[in-house]
Amino acid sequence: MAAVTQTAPERIAPPPRPRIVFRGATAWRWTILIVAAVYFLLPLWAALRFAGISAFGSVISEPGFTSSLALSVRLAVITTLVTIALMLPTTVYVHLRLPRLRRLMEGITILPIVIPPVVLIVGVLAIAPGFLKGTSWLLALAYVVLAMPFTYRALDAGLRALDLKTIVEASNSLGAGWLSTLWRVLLPNLRTALLSATVLSVALVLGEFTMASLDLYQTFPVWIYVNSQTSGQVSVAASLLALFVTWIFLLGITVLGTRQSRKTGGGAVTLFTVARTETRGD
Amino acid sequence: MTANTARERDAAGIAAGTGQAGPGRGTSVRLQDLTRSFGATRALDGLSIEMAPGELVALLGPSGCGKTTALRIVAGFEIADTGSVLVDGKDVSSVPAAKRDMGMVFQSYSLFPNMTALDNVAFGLRMRKIGASQRRQRAGDLLDMVGLAPQAGQYPHQLSGGQQQRVALARALAIEPRVLLLDEPLSALDAKVRLQLREQIRTLQQRLGTTTLFVTHDQEEALSMADRVGVMSHGRLEQIAAPDELYTNPATAFVAEFVGVMNRIPGELQPGGQVTALGSTVPIRGQRPDEAAVDVLVRPEGLTMEVVENGNGIVTTRTFLGSVTRVGVQLSGDVAVQVDRPSAESAALGPGASVSVSLTAGQPVHVAPRQVS
Repeated sequence: MAAVTQTAPERIAPPPRPRIVFRGATAWRWTILIVAAVYFLLPLWAALRFAGISAFGSVISEPGFTSSLALSVRLAVITTLVTIALMLPTTVYVHLRLPRLRRLMEGITILPIVIPPVVLIVGVLAIAPGFLKGTSWLLALAYVVLAMPFTYRALDAGLRALDLKTIVEASNSLGAGWLSTLWRVLLPNLRTALLSATVLSVALVLGEFTMASLDLYQTFPVWIYVNSQTSGQVSVAASLLALFVTWIFLLGITVLGTRQSRKTGGGAVTLFTVARTETRGD
Repeated sequence: MTANTARERDAAGIAAGTGQAGPGRGTSVRLQDLTRSFGATRALDGLSIEMAPGELVALLGPSGCGKTTALRIVAGFEIADTGSVLVDGKDVSSVPAAKRDMGMVFQSYSLFPNMTALDNVAFGLRMRKIGASQRRQRAGDLLDMVGLAPQAGQYPHQLSGGQQQRVALARALAIEPRVLLLDEPLSALDAKVRLQLREQIRTLQQRLGTTTLFVTHDQEEALSMADRVGVMSHGRLEQIAAPDELYTNPATAFVAEFVGVMNRIPGELQPGGQVTALGSTVPIRGQRPDEAAVDVLVRPEGLTMEVVENGNGIVTTRTFLGSVTRVGVQLSGDVAVQVDRPSAESAALGPGASVSVSLTAGQPVHVAPRQVS
């Protein structure tokens, strides 16, 4: 340790990140940006031209619009809440008590991604108990399975960024039981991870088509598809509207999460990981 | 019952303000014959310690000696296989950590990242259902006590390592703990900050009279802070004594070698509890090993040295330490020793000087089985 020569002030600033700069990098960056922008924006622009501004007004009065949108939102809320309620205690428990099972958990949670939705929903329909059939809970429970990998990954990354064992023990030694520790210490520190999980679950549910249509639910994506058979312009306007609303919603969550975590030194909400800025001195 | 008295004590602490309590108010702690195994390894092997109210006891030992396990059993984070922990005479073995009323400072930074320094300190009071204004007042007082009042509104990531540990200390003390547990709280800090914080902890501990168990592998830390130091090895307590006693009168060869600087010089056992080394024969202190080949253990100040021609050693190094100078001597037979001399008398002891080194006559020494180097 070179502590003898230590004259620096106590606060240690993180070293600046090394930057690799190539010649002409700026030109390349712009090229890629423009190509990507054209690739993503051109279809949107085309859709907008096809639908025409007037179609947006008639979307809302279209039969089935309100009910299908309400169903999708309902499904999104149920799915997100159930997934988090299931996965948060599980993930915390695995991290704290069974760290060796983390690999196994990762393996299990990848399954819903690799198994095609068609297979999943056929299986779910075959074994679903009668009282669930036809209710929005059945589809929501199927969506919980789909959302689980994303929620697990977000929470896992969030927990990894914490010194979980020490924080939990500190909380215990100060007189907090398990519930208080979870509510007052862990939840606020996992805020970013929970927002990430929410963003992913909501986006997943609002866009899912296969399961809903096979199980004869008229969710918003299904409604758009059905409507496109009769009125092309209105359905395109509806999907643009859906895209816009979802986008605003996700942006809101992201901005909200990032602002809070900047205050407490946490990471920004990103879709697949929770990056945490290391600020520990010494 | 325990919770009740704790609440009363809390209320009393708040009414009286901090820093009013004198020594003697503290809690007595007794570790009784604790054992704990992890698989095949025995982390604790019959550990018993008695701590007087207001006393600071340091557990010192190499890593893996069981000192942290002992502390965690007292805190309630580990369960002993056998044995018990008594706090004020009551067995707390079945009391969960959250109800033990013990403040703990951890080795790694343990502040809650989502709370300001003030909220961190106030957390334990909040768990004890103390009103918001009282809580803030008291947390503010404690931050002031550790010199961090201006940082009250800052988040942990805005504080340096030393500041974080000071907040952690304030947080542990805020609940007026019956026992304060310190798990190597200084080891993540750099030397300068460590020295300051060491003094601060000791001053606060004495002022509040809180019985404190302090775990460390740094002997300087243990010797300078503790009322008594317990040296541990392989899950057992080798010796527990006041720092000066430990240094001058070590009970075992392990303690003798672990605490302070120690020379090892090959010697021969003699009948009648004597040992011969460097041409002189002195009595053996403590246990006699069974082996015939032994090393004599002598402190740098326990050796006599004279400048002579054709002596048994050559001076290799000279380190000025203030009033004494530590001289490194290469003895015949490839043995290197360190000898302390008053600085005023060591002018002639430059590297290359020929000297005669011997044991101080009549002074008993520890012996240990010879170490093959």
